[in-house]
Amino acid sequence: MGEPMPDTAGTGDAQSQVLLVCGLHAGYDKLIVLKGMDLEVARGEWLALLGPNASGKTTLLHCIAGMLLPSAGSIALCGHPLRREAMAAKRALGFGAAPETLPNLLTGRQCLEIYAAAKGLQAIDSDVLALAEEFSFSPMLDRFVGSYSLGTKQKLAVLLALLGEPALVVLDEAFNGLDPASALVLKRHLRARVSARRCGVLLATHALDVVERYSDRAALLLDGRIAREWTGGELAALRAAPGEGLEVALAAACAGA
Amino acid sequence: MPRWMGAHPHLGSTLLAWRNAFRYRRGRTLSAAVLLVVGFGVAAVLPPTGPILGWLGSNWAVSFVIATSAFTLSTARRRQRASIAAATSWLAPLPTGSPVWLQVLGGTAGWLAGIVAFGALVWLLDMIGRRDFSRLAFAVAAGAVVGLLAGWRLPRAGIGAPGFHYASVRRARARWASAPSLAPLANWPAAQGRIFSRPRKSAPALLLPMLAVPMGTPGQAALAVAGVCMVLFSVSSLTVAAVRVAFDAARWLAPTTVGKWRFAAALIWRATLTQTLALAVLILLAATIYPHRAVAVGLPLAALGLCASWVAALLAASWACRREGLGAAGRGA
Repeated sequence: MGEPMPDTAGTGDAQSQVLLVCGLHAGYDKLIVLKGMDLEVARGEWLALLGPNASGKTTLLHCIAGMLLPSAGSIALCGHPLRREAMAAKRALGFGAAPETLPNLLTGRQCLEIYAAAKGLQAIDSDVLALAEEFSFSPMLDRFVGSYSLGTKQKLAVLLALLGEPALVVLDEAFNGLDPASALVLKRHLRARVSARRCGVLLATHALDVVERYSDRAALLLDGRIAREWTGGELAALRAAPGEGLEVALAAACAGA
Repeated sequence: MPRWMGAHPHLGSTLLAWRNAFRYRRGRTLSAAVLLVVGFGVAAVLPPTGPILGWLGSNWAVSFVIATSAFTLSTARRRQRASIAAATSWLAPLPTGSPVWLQVLGGTAGWLAGIVAFGALVWLLDMIGRRDFSRLAFAVAAGAVVGLLAGWRLPRAGIGAPGFHYASVRRARARWASAPSLAPLANWPAAQGRIFSRPRKSAPALLLPMLAVPMGTPGQAALAVAGVCMVLFSVSSLTVAAVRVAFDAARWLAPTTVGKWRFAAALIWRATLTQTLALAVLILLAATIYPHRAVAVGLPLAALGLCASWVAALLAASWACRREGLGAAGRGA
């Protein structure tokens, strides 16, 4: 069970804002996926990004990570515009790469070392190493990533995202493939980081239990825009409600949009 | 969907994929076809083409042996590829027959048609006589039939080990956690180079130079040729690996703050060092037999090759950084 959600979440001022997306348009060739997206995440806030398949969740995350060039709009991380101050903006970012994009011909230890060096860290964070222990990832450290299962690759992707105490942690389906024990470890770890206001989390997910129990806010991405948002209070009410709660509310929001 | 497609889903899906490629990438498909036809025409009018095809036509037995060998090998490989594709295809669970024989037959027929059409073009351009062309066409066709039957009967190898089986795990740096470094990034192209130069890939590359060694050549000279070919193959594999890995690595590291030149240096230093050492050893060995020629010919060639490889890897790394938005080349709006 997650910790109580702070009432102040989602109402962060400019200082506590770790992500600000304004009027974002993006797509691939002639296909326009995001059509004027607005979004913000504050430090100490866990925002769950919901949406049907192909609604643009991964596209948005790739734009935030600087991996996809938007056609219009702006993205700022901790007040640094991604276009003009790319280095400063990326310093605030912890991005969980898709497991299939991890380098198969490097070992887990090499990946951690390279990523830490690429982020300009002097040492690998002790709590990331502790999390690796909790994940039972240590025996896999000196094996090729290509030999990992999906869940093990997912663990590595999460560990890489958490390196360097990022102000914004961006994760795409991070619980996909994780065993229940590791998933619980990750949920608690992220919740603890968020509650200590060490970072803000943006998680694109279909796992509604994570949204109901651990998120402070949820946003539904539909047709390239945020179609509906649920505050911490509304999520708590849905969690307490009999029946399917968020599942039904989400289906209704998708149908009504 | 036509009924026959339901009975032959593999064939149907392949045809639909081709149709889609033509419909949605018409420009690219037509450009590729035009390039192919132009290449075909240019090759036909090259001065040595006529004499070579004429010689092959008048020595039809040699043509037959070459065609039989080539079609035997290509049939065996095509069958293996088609079998693996059929077993791992998304259509594999369907209760329909395997299309392996059709793919093998189609591939052989396609190559035969291409070769005969090329010969016909050269004949129509009056660069070889009709008699030479008909002899050549008959020899190649007969070789294709015999090669098809022989290649089908050749024993097939398995799917093969995953790529990382050919690479070895490097010992971790003692200070990997307390002083992380980009240096291990160099292991990636090195491992990829090993996969590219694994025996299954290097053996065919070795075959042609070995066939070119004249009869009566001493054993040690033939061994030296084989050794040189293997070294050159592995050196060029490292270059290709560095170029290819640059894009994957840049995409992986795009959300970090690593700079372009730091990334490029970390990626290619080990491949360059390995190539330099390999070529230096090669020149030193050659110098023990032909001291003057090794220095006068080998050294400039090696230096040129190294420079070309280094520039290719550097350009690839630089382009990859730009394309994937690495470091300051961020792609945010």
